[in-house]
Amino acid sequence: MPNLAVRGTEAPKNAEALDPVFTVSGLSVFYGDYEAVRGVDMNIGNREITAMIGPSGCGKSTVLRCFNRMNDLIPGARAVGKIAYHGEDLYGAHVDPIEVRRRIGMVFQKPNPFPKSIYDNIAYGPRVNGMKGKMDDVVEEALTKAALWDEVKDKIKQNALSLSGGQQQRLCIARAIAVKPEVILMDEPCSALDPIATTKIEDLMQELTREYTIVIVTHNMQQAARVSDRTAFFTAEVDEAGVRHGRLVEFDETSRIFTNPSDKRTEDYITGRFG
Amino acid sequence: MTVLTTPASAVRLARQGRPIGEHIFRITLLSSLIIALGFLAMLLIYVVQEGWPRLDSTLWESMPSIRRPETAGVQSGIFGTLWIIGLTALMALPTGVLAAVYLEEYADKTKWYNKLIELNISNLAAVPSIVYGILGLGIIARWLDFGFTVMTGAITVSLLVLPIVIISAREAIRAVPPSIREGSLALGATQWQTIYRQVLPSAIPGIATGSILALSRAIGEAAPFLMLGAATLVRFNPEGVWSSFTVLPLQIYSFISQSREEFHILASAAIVVLLAILLLMNSVAIWLRNRFQKRW
Repeated sequence: MPNLAVRGTEAPKNAEALDPVFTVSGLSVFYGDYEAVRGVDMNIGNREITAMIGPSGCGKSTVLRCFNRMNDLIPGARAVGKIAYHGEDLYGAHVDPIEVRRRIGMVFQKPNPFPKSIYDNIAYGPRVNGMKGKMDDVVEEALTKAALWDEVKDKIKQNALSLSGGQQQRLCIARAIAVKPEVILMDEPCSALDPIATTKIEDLMQELTREYTIVIVTHNMQQAARVSDRTAFFTAEVDEAGVRHGRLVEFDETSRIFTNPSDKRTEDYITGRFG
Repeated sequence: MTVLTTPASAVRLARQGRPIGEHIFRITLLSSLIIALGFLAMLLIYVVQEGWPRLDSTLWESMPSIRRPETAGVQSGIFGTLWIIGLTALMALPTGVLAAVYLEEYADKTKWYNKLIELNISNLAAVPSIVYGILGLGIIARWLDFGFTVMTGAITVSLLVLPIVIISAREAIRAVPPSIREGSLALGATQWQTIYRQVLPSAIPGIATGSILALSRAIGEAAPFLMLGAATLVRFNPEGVWSSFTVLPLQIYSFISQSREEFHILASAAIVVLLAILLLMNSVAIWLRNRFQKRW
């Protein structure tokens, strides 16, 4: 592992999650020669909601996409440093990214249901993973957990694109749940939704922490404050050579980040003086 | 003292008269359209009028002849064309679609050899069809010794339409939003599962439309068959892929070359048949596009 001597952040105190699902140490992400994110250290607590906030271009989505190796799909992207998932290096040579993504689900910014029926959307994941069992039950269970079952149980064979934006996003959450992951990554899941649909998703996230670990990227600071247990604040900084890199500034319990941040930059951001 | 009325100069919504250039531009656009459609209509009317006396069932029930134009038909040409197109579809469509899948989903576009392949496919689509005729004659008919058979013709035409199929299939695949692929991969699907179960089904209307249009082009081709040294007078329908054959455009060409007026009428009637097949295929393409078009 390359030694990343440059670290712009002091290790936050009292931020250590017990029983972490992910242990990130010295993570840098490159797109070709460009270092988009530099030197991230953070732990993701089990069955917690971890929020990543910060201005645009600070690398929070980039880091999120390392957790299920979605960055592999971008030509030239590579992660340096270590992300351990229950102690196992996610980027280890023997690790199959397909298996990683099965265990670590993802919900995207824009709802992206497949142009198929609601039923087939949910059943797709279990089918491609060769899961056994009664598919009808799997579908009902996933939709129930995503608080969508009552709204769609009478039109389960209808095209998923006929649902409203908020319903589509909950369908995408249900679709992720159906493959029985341990972690759900959410990349600004509410940014395309209205306030009522947003509230529903936030309530759902609280509900889901009983079983799942959630990492959410959000532009909405109130959302982070409302839903998360821990918050990571990222920002973009220009280094000596004039190149912008995303940096993790502060990572702590959400209450502390929003009431008593230890870094001036965090305070400026959450009080609205910057970004 | 303050005046609270809006000054007259502030609001000017009344029509000022469109600039003359605007009108000229509209008229130019419209006349371009009229020229294109007008010539097409003239062509159709002329051909139908010319061929009308021979547009009867004898045309598709009889075999061609260069002695008796009154009882001659083009049945062998119709069947030859259908054989060629059918076999071409079987060979060119799967190959073309798979090549397109490779180029869109697997190829690393930064690699020089993939750039070279892409450039060459675009070039191949522009190669005159007679060049493919030379290729078919030299390699397939002579070197592989397939002779002048349905197989030789179909392989030659397949090579001719392959670049067009690849290009249109690539466009259809590219039109599938990346978010669909991401959604599938994020659920733990493999790349092939994603392509086979999400990308291709979504792209099929586009692929089908493009493929039919490519095959329509092949139907009208006479040049490669001429180059292959095709027989113009075939008095039997193809019985298999190793049978000799003729195609409608070639049959038309042979009738036109005759000096007697009756053959020219017969040629016009055959052109109407060819056009009818073409229009039918294009209608199917349009129907497919409208029926299965996806909206995201």
